[in-house]
Amino acid sequence: MFLPAGSRDLTGRQLVNRVAIYEKFQSVVNLRNYQAIETPVIEYSTTFTNPYAGMTLKKMLKWFDEEGEIEVLRPDWTIAVARALANQQSDQQKWAYAGSVFKKDHAGVESHQAGIEIIRTPGLFGEYESLFTAVRFLRELGLHQYSIELGHTEIFETFISSLELDEAAASQIRQAMHDKRKDEVYRLVKEAGNEETAEAVAALADAFGGTAILDKFAGEWENNSKLLPVIQELQQLAAALEELGQDVIVDLGRVKQLPYYNGAMFRGFLADSGAECFSGGRYDELYEQFGGKMSAVGLAFDMDVLATALPAPEKQERICLLTDEKGLIAAEALRYKYPDAVVDVRTEATAENYDRVYKVVQSGEGYEVVEK
Amino acid sequence: MKPVIALTKGRVEKQFLAYLEERGVDSTPLVEKGRKLSVETDQAIYFFAKGVDVTTYVQHGIADLGIVGEDIIAEFQPDVFNLFPLPFGACKMAVAAEKDKVWPDRKKRIASKYTNITKQYYLEKGESVDIIKLEGSVELAPLLGLADAIVDIVETGTTLKENGLEVIEDIQHFTARVIANRSSLKMKRNILQPYLSVLQEEVAQS
Repeated sequence: MFLPAGSRDLTGRQLVNRVAIYEKFQSVVNLRNYQAIETPVIEYSTTFTNPYAGMTLKKMLKWFDEEGEIEVLRPDWTIAVARALANQQSDQQKWAYAGSVFKKDHAGVESHQAGIEIIRTPGLFGEYESLFTAVRFLRELGLHQYSIELGHTEIFETFISSLELDEAAASQIRQAMHDKRKDEVYRLVKEAGNEETAEAVAALADAFGGTAILDKFAGEWENNSKLLPVIQELQQLAAALEELGQDVIVDLGRVKQLPYYNGAMFRGFLADSGAECFSGGRYDELYEQFGGKMSAVGLAFDMDVLATALPAPEKQERICLLTDEKGLIAAEALRYKYPDAVVDVRTEATAENYDRVYKVVQSGEGYEVVEK
Repeated sequence: MKPVIALTKGRVEKQFLAYLEERGVDSTPLVEKGRKLSVETDQAIYFFAKGVDVTTYVQHGIADLGIVGEDIIAEFQPDVFNLFPLPFGACKMAVAAEKDKVWPDRKKRIASKYTNITKQYYLEKGESVDIIKLEGSVELAPLLGLADAIVDIVETGTTLKENGLEVIEDIQHFTARVIANRSSLKMKRNILQPYLSVLQEEVAQS
């Protein structure tokens, strides 16, 4: 039988790694006093497609229910959790989730995520907590070679809102900026505004790299009451991460890809593969859409990317006992004797590698286990 | 570590190598590659592929940068950075039909290799058409009665003219462009930036 493109059976290492990662995630967030939340895997499409959430129905797995409403398989955690928490009365601030999301444009449709949401916290508390949790979690996984990229929605948005464009025109420029298509950004902004703004916005396409970029723009926007605080915010986050020994890069030209982001944006890139292992940011407006006025910051880890990148686990001792059914009790005793070793039972010798091989031999009335 | 560059085989490749030479980059090993599909020079590792495959290799991070016609980018919409235009490979996408075409009293049939661009164009125009996908010699379609008009790349217009066709609407102008993998551009910035600077350098045209 054939599997759909991208779908796959998982066995062995990949699967073990993923389970291990979920366990490690739970232990990291438990120790930081996160509370677990799970939303249903099936919801109405409008939760995700309303103008604030802004996801496209096209990419969702969907069907009609008996009343003609469109139901979807969970395409995104953050929006679902926002819907669930926006009207929650508890004063719990930190929430953690883990599970699958389904998107048609993702190879294999299903992807595995775990993430955190931090709500009702003042200032940059949520940003710090998100980033520190990410650093801690990746450290616990033994992943050290990665960079955290910082960006901020309000840099690009400040320039664009000054042009007073309609949403279609704004999103055309946003897309060009997302593609770092400098010539097109310049052309579109010049058409809508003036040369000076066009140059300033087009320059954002190249404003990525090390944290020195922040100092450069802090100087450039010294007298800009809107943009200077944004740069200072990013400088604070970058300094905090660098103090933890973390490599930080910035991209001031990064734009929001979903309409609900309204502040710092961050993501992690693994050094070896360049794969994105987590991403997140601030999205207060999303909670507002669901009727709750509160701050909200969070991030989600791509558990599939992390599972692939996980370093090889420490080697465990492997013991094999050759026996027939009669020797199973002896094997169980062996397991108690070596509590940390893998103890396997085989009826005949195999080519598999074991550190020790034992054999059950008859001795008088009973049986005895001897090393081969 | 060197930048890995996917280069569109054929005309774009030749023009790109000439462009490199203009900037003082020795491209002899690339010119004399024979049948090899991959060549390493002092500056970079190059490999040669069909345009749409160039975007695929770049999107998947096998190549850090790609040199490809904008028509391919517009048609296939790869998830890559679309950095800057190069001053060659200029052409336009246009609608063409037979001279003095008498349009039939039904939904138009448009033949094209570029079905996504065609669909997007008529969608924005607000006109419903049936699109027929062809793989080549698209100019044949109106002549043989398969379609009422075509959407295709026009460089000089000679092929159209020789087949009794003419441009009736321009859709978009294109050139060759430099694209980049989304994470390579950031994670390998130090090795890519010098190469990109050379490509963006202004040189006096002789």
